[in-house]
Amino acid sequence: MKKILGITGLLVAVFVFTAALEPNFLTAYNLQNTLRWTALFGIISIGAAFVIITGGIDLSTGSVVGLIGVLLPMLLVGQGWSIPLALAAVVVVSLILGLLHGVLVTKVNLQPFVVTLCGLLFYRGIARWITGDATQGFGTAFEGFRQLAIGRIPLTDSFGVPMPFVVLVVLAVLAGLFLNYTVWGRYMMALGHNEEAARFSGINTDRMVILAYVIGTVTAGIGGVLFALDVNSVQPAVHGNFYELYAIAAAVLGGCSLRGGEGSILGVVIGAAVLRVLYNAINILGIPTQLEFAIIGAVILLGVMADELVKRFVVARSAAREVV
Amino acid sequence: MLRLFRSGKPVEVRPIQNPKSKIQNRLLLAAEHITKRFPGVVALRDVGLDLGQGEVLAVIGENGAGKSTLMKILAGVQPPDAGAILLDGEEVVITSPRHAADLGIALIHQELNLLPNLSVGANIFLGREPQRAGWMQQRQIFADSEKILARVGLDFSPNLLVQRLSIGHRQLVEIARALSAEARVLIMDEPTSSLSTGEAEVLFGVIDDLRGRGVSIIYVSHRLREVETLADRVVVLRDGENAGELARDQITHDAMVQRMVGRDVSQFYVRTPHEVGAEVLAVQDLISPAWPDHPLTFSLRAGEIVGVAGLVGAGRTELLRVLFGIDRALGGRIAVGGEAVTLKSPRDAIAAGLALVPEDRKQQGLVLDLAVRQNLTLAGVWRHRLAGGWLNRKQEAEDTARMIDTLAIKTPTETQAVRLLSGGNQQKVVLGKWLSLKPRILLMDEPTRGIDIGAKQEIYRMMETLARDGIAILFVSSELEEILGMSDRVLVMHDGYITGELARDALSEEAVMHLATGRVDDFGF
Amino acid sequence: MRLFKHEILLIILIAGTLTLGGCGQKQDGAADRPTVGFVTNGIASFWVIADKGANDAAEEFDVNVEVMMPSDGPAGQRRLVQDLLARGVDGIAISPSDPKNQGGLLDEIAANADLITHDSDAPESSRLVYVGMDNYEAGRMCGRLLKKAMPDGGSVVLFIGLLGQLNADLRRQGVIDELLDRSHDSSRRDPVDQVIEGDKYTILDTRVDQFDFARAKGQAEDALARYPDLDAMIGLFVYNPPQILEAVREAGKLDQITIVGFDEDDDTLQAIKDGTVVGTVVQNPYRYGYESVRVLAALARGDRSVLPESKFIDIPAREITAENVDAFWAELKQLVGE
Repeated sequence: MKKILGITGLLVAVFVFTAALEPNFLTAYNLQNTLRWTALFGIISIGAAFVIITGGIDLSTGSVVGLIGVLLPMLLVGQGWSIPLALAAVVVVSLILGLLHGVLVTKVNLQPFVVTLCGLLFYRGIARWITGDATQGFGTAFEGFRQLAIGRIPLTDSFGVPMPFVVLVVLAVLAGLFLNYTVWGRYMMALGHNEEAARFSGINTDRMVILAYVIGTVTAGIGGVLFALDVNSVQPAVHGNFYELYAIAAAVLGGCSLRGGEGSILGVVIGAAVLRVLYNAINILGIPTQLEFAIIGAVILLGVMADELVKRFVVARSAAREVV
Repeated sequence: MLRLFRSGKPVEVRPIQNPKSKIQNRLLLAAEHITKRFPGVVALRDVGLDLGQGEVLAVIGENGAGKSTLMKILAGVQPPDAGAILLDGEEVVITSPRHAADLGIALIHQELNLLPNLSVGANIFLGREPQRAGWMQQRQIFADSEKILARVGLDFSPNLLVQRLSIGHRQLVEIARALSAEARVLIMDEPTSSLSTGEAEVLFGVIDDLRGRGVSIIYVSHRLREVETLADRVVVLRDGENAGELARDQITHDAMVQRMVGRDVSQFYVRTPHEVGAEVLAVQDLISPAWPDHPLTFSLRAGEIVGVAGLVGAGRTELLRVLFGIDRALGGRIAVGGEAVTLKSPRDAIAAGLALVPEDRKQQGLVLDLAVRQNLTLAGVWRHRLAGGWLNRKQEAEDTARMIDTLAIKTPTETQAVRLLSGGNQQKVVLGKWLSLKPRILLMDEPTRGIDIGAKQEIYRMMETLARDGIAILFVSSELEEILGMSDRVLVMHDGYITGELARDALSEEAVMHLATGRVDDFGF
Repeated sequence: MRLFKHEILLIILIAGTLTLGGCGQKQDGAADRPTVGFVTNGIASFWVIADKGANDAAEEFDVNVEVMMPSDGPAGQRRLVQDLLARGVDGIAISPSDPKNQGGLLDEIAANADLITHDSDAPESSRLVYVGMDNYEAGRMCGRLLKKAMPDGGSVVLFIGLLGQLNADLRRQGVIDELLDRSHDSSRRDPVDQVIEGDKYTILDTRVDQFDFARAKGQAEDALARYPDLDAMIGLFVYNPPQILEAVREAGKLDQITIVGFDEDDDTLQAIKDGTVVGTVVQNPYRYGYESVRVLAALARGDRSVLPESKFIDIPAREITAENVDAFWAELKQLVGE
């Protein structure tokens, strides 16, 4: 809980600041949109967090989002598959990609950075090749299915909870339970801190690492489905570009250490929310778009720095308490 | 007779009897009232030490006595919490290793600090490269390095890459580096711990030579025999405090041990005779990947404590790794409780009833940043899981409480990160991790390394208790006393072989050392 | 020894590559046809149509054409152009992403092959001709569409993929100048971060999305949130109108917001049919590709008569509204072979 205090504070600060400057920020319409974007990015961030917790990194997220994003409309519109079949197919594809990453990292002993970097390049290339760079879309025939991304559950006349947010909550709860209340979650935390000690304790660390990569690509796949349904037209060359970095940024903001072993799902979701609220704030305050990366970079840096300072303060205080 | 001053009071310094030394008896360096705290432990309490020019001062003490901490303070690696350091009679505040080097104090680390991918010359001048207008003066580095290497008795080219040197030579290069920086005080922390006998002798020659040139040396070691031959004076530390000082003519093995341990050694290792049970581990022609030509055969009985002695690199750790499934055996048979087992991973070994307290506690035994509870249950959570893979939190809490209680683990809460515990308590956590699985065979690699004397005794008592409960213990130790004190039986290894097996009544330091140094031929002389 | 092995492997690889490459060239050269390059400024369905035009022309005028689509802007263009030059193409038609700073690259092409520009011009280079439309005029056309649909004026937000690229800048300026009833001056530039107020129309903002569709949608949503009383939205790149449409539809503001588009995305055309988008201004990418290759083919054979005095081959933009959308769409479908 202590860990997510800082990031929650940051979220509240950006939120209050923006709301104070621009009342339209608080309209039901805008809040709905921000929630939906938070959900979409939050989902892929959860996957990134699992990989980071086991001490790895997944750079392929954006390309998986892109690949799944073109596969789904291709299967539905191009091949005329049924929705459940197409969904099952893309989930299986993303699962296989994760399996591949995990096996290459554990059994072939390649560095995660390299494996997933090659994934980033490879899947993007495949997505462009199978589509011939042609934009893919669902047209108007799948409005019902698209509700999964653009629909919402109405609470009041004007405000409804966006469907992706429901998906996010379900996934986050599952992920949180998995990480904190199952043996496998415990194993992942342990091996993220110290793989050797975990192996010496009888843990099949390879299997856990592979599982983390599978979770990483499957959430990226789910994200890919939702992103595609949301924008309805998927450009193979750019759809999902850099999303891995947003996912990693959200995970790090949410308290994951790139050294592994640390992180909370709630923190990651809040991290994703911070990023989305920032984006929204930049647009809604009319700050020139050109500045957006600079602002986001600066805020992430500040957040991480503040977190580090708080940590040091806590350690120093507990050390002081110890000795007397 | 000269008078030196320490803590404001005149102190008498006797001329050193060692005929080889040319001590000028000028006080060079003094540490006064040094106190240093770490989270959870006071490493040094009001410790003092002084060093004359051209003197070899040995600092001895058990692991955890504070030797290394004191050396780090003198070398500027860590600042003291209280106390003063005087150099040439003037108080200095040493802010960094670099600053210490500027003052002429150099620390030769336990873990060598050379960069293996650079040349010897580059290492000697690392950080002090002679340069002209920004250009490194390679030729000067070469020439100066050659000269300085000659002073430590090395005659190879400074262009050689450090990675091609033996450990012993690397140590000498480190010393050469210190000398080239015009060190007046050399601090050597366990310099012989990874050296062969021959290499160590070369080192002693160099030390002797340096002493003759007026270089002062602080020599930290727990190898008392080296200290006996080398030191002009001995300072003993115990539990972070001064525990006496021995002049040259007082330096004897017994005198040192008595001051280090602070109690009668004979009561330290508590063994009560008890029945040993049936054979639980039978190892036949086991071949570890490190020594493909050296098959190992031995067995272990329930309730028996078997020590594995030998020098560093004799193959003891490798044996335990194979037994625990970390490395795959290349051949041979292992039977546990009469049943043949194949150990392909630690999981297999654990399933067969084995447990390992590994050599490197912090890296292999514990997940330092996880809580005491999570470490204690790391190996057992799977066995105690609920259906569906859920953690059994209730069982976890019970196991944790029981282990903290039975092992007397000192921790403020069970959610405390293990990192913050003392070495002894950390080791108890490693032990506790296994006990909830009720292993039949406990493998221990250097079980008391780096823990304080009280905790050591507790570990010994636990080993005794476990053995009495019928657990078979196979432990590797480099501390001969521990081997002699705890073992029912000793396997001695050398160069990958088991060179001999000694029953308790045949145990003696000499017998073990003979086997350990591989002199099988004249064993039984 | 290890090193040695690696070197041998490397040599074999290089030798193999060269041999294969050589073979390939021989095959191409066997037909003795000139080869020309057609370089786009990105990857889009727009360029797929241009690709078709280029290939049709290549067949008709008996040349080989290499259509190159960079995924990363000017850097990608440099790489692809240099590849083309290395293969000794006779001419290159390029849509420069950043003509101001690509002088060196354009000079490099001009020194080694015939250089023409298409889609977006680089007037300061030594290009032989520019094939395309006048983006400034097209922008004004877009503005006129809005004026017609919303004669009483109102507030407008513009959406665009990238600024700094000449055609994008001109397009935006054309819209603004038309809405403010200014004189025709394509060298004018209004700053991005200021509200531009005219007598009737107010341009509140211009949002840039870097070709990220998801972000384009997000920005449309944010604009709707920020300006609850917004009257009109204009999307200047091909994917902008559909994303605007999505956002407006989800906000339930189809009645309030007037949308004007650019280019001929299927969703945009459908929306024009449905009446949710007022109209769009379309270019003729097929003709860009076709004319570029036609000119380059002639130049490769030494025929310079294809170059007009004005150094401008105008492929005029067209307004598509509910009146002519069906006919246009049918024509388009036929072009892309559907």
